[in-house]
Amino acid sequence: MTTATISQKTIDAYLAALRKQLRDLLDEDVKDIVEEIRAHILDKISDQLTDDSVAATLAALGTPEELAARYRTEELLKRAQASRSPASMLRSLFRWATLTLVGVVVFVVSVVGYCLGGFLVILAALKAIWPSGTGLWQDSQPDGTMKSLGLGFGNQPGQGHELLGWWLLPIGFLLGAGLLVLTFRFGIWSIRKFWRPLAWR
Amino acid sequence: MNTPAPPPPENSEKWEVQLRKGSLELAILAALWNGRLYGLEILRHLESNSALTVVEGTAYPLLNRLRSLGLVETEWVESDSGHPRKYYQLTEAGRQRALEMTRIWGQFSQKMNDLLAPLNGQPRKEEP
Repeated sequence: MTTATISQKTIDAYLAALRKQLRDLLDEDVKDIVEEIRAHILDKISDQLTDDSVAATLAALGTPEELAARYRTEELLKRAQASRSPASMLRSLFRWATLTLVGVVVFVVSVVGYCLGGFLVILAALKAIWPSGTGLWQDSQPDGTMKSLGLGFGNQPGQGHELLGWWLLPIGFLLGAGLLVLTFRFGIWSIRKFWRPLAWR
Repeated sequence: MNTPAPPPPENSEKWEVQLRKGSLELAILAALWNGRLYGLEILRHLESNSALTVVEGTAYPLLNRLRSLGLVETEWVESDSGHPRKYYQLTEAGRQRALEMTRIWGQFSQKMNDLLAPLNGQPRKEEP
């Protein structure tokens, strides 16, 4: 095999990996991006096609994963903001989490925020359907000190005295919905504030 | 007199990265001011006209973003090299944005330079 064919294979493999990493973008965008990167590589190595020049050109672009992540984060942030759905927001944040530690922290906080918010809303809804099995129970010891506090639902209602009654419905809805909105805002704010692709060298 | 310890080098490095990142968008719009260029031409233009070197893997995603913001438009053009190239061109919105950013940049850097003059050992320039 000649140097030229080996280099050609390296380039093809790089572009194939890039295409695969970009698969959640629109097909026409993927084609556009991959063809542009192909043209870039070919222009860079047009003077001399050697294994070294190919390796240097590909290194300057970053791995296919890194390069795709830069495209996708932009794209996903756009989509997360447009759709406002927790799923699309978490997908964006997950991408970020695979890149930096800040991303991991923001992702974990958002998961907790969405879960807790969702749980409260569901609980409020359950209170409407199933009042006796849903609530906030406080179990006190004989001397009046608190032994346990349980929020939830089930066949076996919590021990002790139910605290909120029907108040659980508005409180759960408001607190839960508030938490969901807050988590979304936190995600957008974090991306704006901390997402810093290294632009120059 | 006590002089404070110099900040750790990583901080000034971080600051420089932020500064460069913030100005990259304007640099690219400026590179396109005189007409359409393809990606590698933009990179080479920045390098030869300003000695600023851009990480290639970041420039292309940024160009993609400028397009989705409507500041540039793209067009594939056949070339002698055997493969087509994707050319970027400023849109009207892009031109307006470039002018506005240039104005802000000029005002800001003027004020910063005035402020920094003593640090460079230069006398403070009087207003004409």
